[in-house]
Amino acid sequence: MTAVIETQALGKRYGHVTALTECTLSVPEGRVVGLVGPNGAGKSTLLGLVGGLIAPSAGSISVLGDPPAASAAQLARVGFVAQDAPVYGSLTVADHLRLGAHLNPRWDAGLAESRIRQRNLDPRQKAGRLSGGQRAQLALTIAAAKRADLLILDEPVAALDPLARRAFLQDLLDFVGELGVSVVLSSHLLGDLERVCDHLIVLASARVQLSGDVARLLAQHQRVTGTLPGFDGLPAGTDIIHAEHNTMIVRTDTPIDGAGRVDLEDLVLAYLTRAASYDGTPMLAEAHR
Amino acid sequence: MIWLTWRQFRVQAIVTAAALAALTVYLLLIGFGSRDAYDTGIVGCTPSECAAALQAFVHDYNAPFGIIGAVLLAIPALAGIFWGAPLVARELEEKTDKLVWNQSVTRRRWLAVKLGLIGLTTAAVAGLLSLLLTWSASRYDQVTGERFAALTFVARNVVPIGYALFAFTLGAVTGMIVRRTLPAMAITLAVFAAVQIAVPNGIRQHIMPPVTETVRLDAAAVSSINGLGFRGEGTGGSIHGYTKPGVWPLVEEMHLYKSDGSAYLIADAKPCMVMGSFEESMACTAGQDLHFTFTYQPGDRYWPFQWIELTAFLVLTLLLTGIGFLWIRRRLN
Repeated sequence: MTAVIETQALGKRYGHVTALTECTLSVPEGRVVGLVGPNGAGKSTLLGLVGGLIAPSAGSISVLGDPPAASAAQLARVGFVAQDAPVYGSLTVADHLRLGAHLNPRWDAGLAESRIRQRNLDPRQKAGRLSGGQRAQLALTIAAAKRADLLILDEPVAALDPLARRAFLQDLLDFVGELGVSVVLSSHLLGDLERVCDHLIVLASARVQLSGDVARLLAQHQRVTGTLPGFDGLPAGTDIIHAEHNTMIVRTDTPIDGAGRVDLEDLVLAYLTRAASYDGTPMLAEAHR
Repeated sequence: MIWLTWRQFRVQAIVTAAALAALTVYLLLIGFGSRDAYDTGIVGCTPSECAAALQAFVHDYNAPFGIIGAVLLAIPALAGIFWGAPLVARELEEKTDKLVWNQSVTRRRWLAVKLGLIGLTTAAVAGLLSLLLTWSASRYDQVTGERFAALTFVARNVVPIGYALFAFTLGAVTGMIVRRTLPAMAITLAVFAAVQIAVPNGIRQHIMPPVTETVRLDAAAVSSINGLGFRGEGTGGSIHGYTKPGVWPLVEEMHLYKSDGSAYLIADAKPCMVMGSFEESMACTAGQDLHFTFTYQPGDRYWPFQWIELTAFLVLTLLLTGIGFLWIRRRLN
């Protein structure tokens, strides 16, 4: 399977601030990738690097086999919706579709117009007057109608109320299936992504804490309680991710007798807690909602 | 890209076109008006009336041409502030760079089309107005003979195009570097105003080495000066405002020397001061065989100066454009 995103020791510094470091990833094609981490973890930086909006200060990255934003052809293959879904306030909804049509060779006008109709967006409305949800829909429509191979959505639902979140994500899943496009979407709330992603990247303190196929990750991790064969009796190569009271979350390929399953939330929380205890910053309560 | 540039620029374009149309009508009116006034009042005037006719003509048209000249002086600054500075800075501020630079158009192409189209508009507006004003004010300029004057030189012929393109590009690149519209506008205005003040006051006169010559204060020279004065008892006298037709005098005050090369003192001037009339006094001074040094740029350098200054600003514009293209790819991260 070809990799949609491939990074090698990727890093980004802003002056003395390290926004991302030692990021090595490989994301296969056709996935819906959830990028989770607390605010300030480096999610936007990673997505900006993938979209080619910013240039790396260390390491390398290739997206769909080429450096990001290297050429118009490469730009055409990646759709990007930035945080808060920026649009031109003084341009109408219809103007934005015209913008998309003029600037994208693979523009799918039928898709764009039908999406605008279905979301009840008035083409004559100025984009500056749209609600947060409508703006997100407009931005997503432009990115989708571009007919890119990879869609990047940075905190697409952060500005939406819970009902709109659900609708937005359901809609996203529907057309991702229809268009066969790979997607990366970020959120500081796992709950937003849990239902939609089949690949997970956990980012904290500018580092990738965990990355992989969701089903495989769940299979690899187990919950062990102190009354079991004992902390000493763990199989060789077991990685203790998090221990609290008499419960541990461990990573191992060998099944442990009597160990419990973990769910995605436990898993992410364990890794975020571990990351937070390393650098001493208290973990954000939001991370597990 | 052309469509988007037009769509984002069209309100400004329409406002500019309307202002340009109004200025054109006004320039045509005063252009024909001043020609009529020149033909009836000055052409064929009797020698006794000519001075008064010229004075009246200058008086009538001083304000209209002065105001349009000031407008033309302001156009580059306006282009820099309102078209240049927000060009990239506003996109960054409103985060729409993240929308538009993620369409299938590279940043360089986006910048090339934006700078190209709006730059062309800027050059066209400045050039058109300058040519109209040059035509409209030609009789007036002929009468005043001050085409090298600081406010006239930059508002005639080809030089305004250079200033306008420079200011526009300066605004765009400043906006790119500063990343915020308002500070970029302020910096653009400050830098451009400094350039606009420095060039006529300290730079233009050095484009070519000036000509220096010794002039005898004869009757003709005496009649063209504005005054003769002494700063004190022991210091030499000097004249003010001597010039020759069409040249650019570089010094306002010129020291007077006697034929033996020594300074012209109050004691030397006394015999001529006691004459009955002003004319007699001046004739007496002219007879004293005095001379002074006159430093100037000759009139036939007007066009070389226009082209050199235009070229210099076009080169600066290209340099700034180069910085802009490097910056938009490498530094706007």
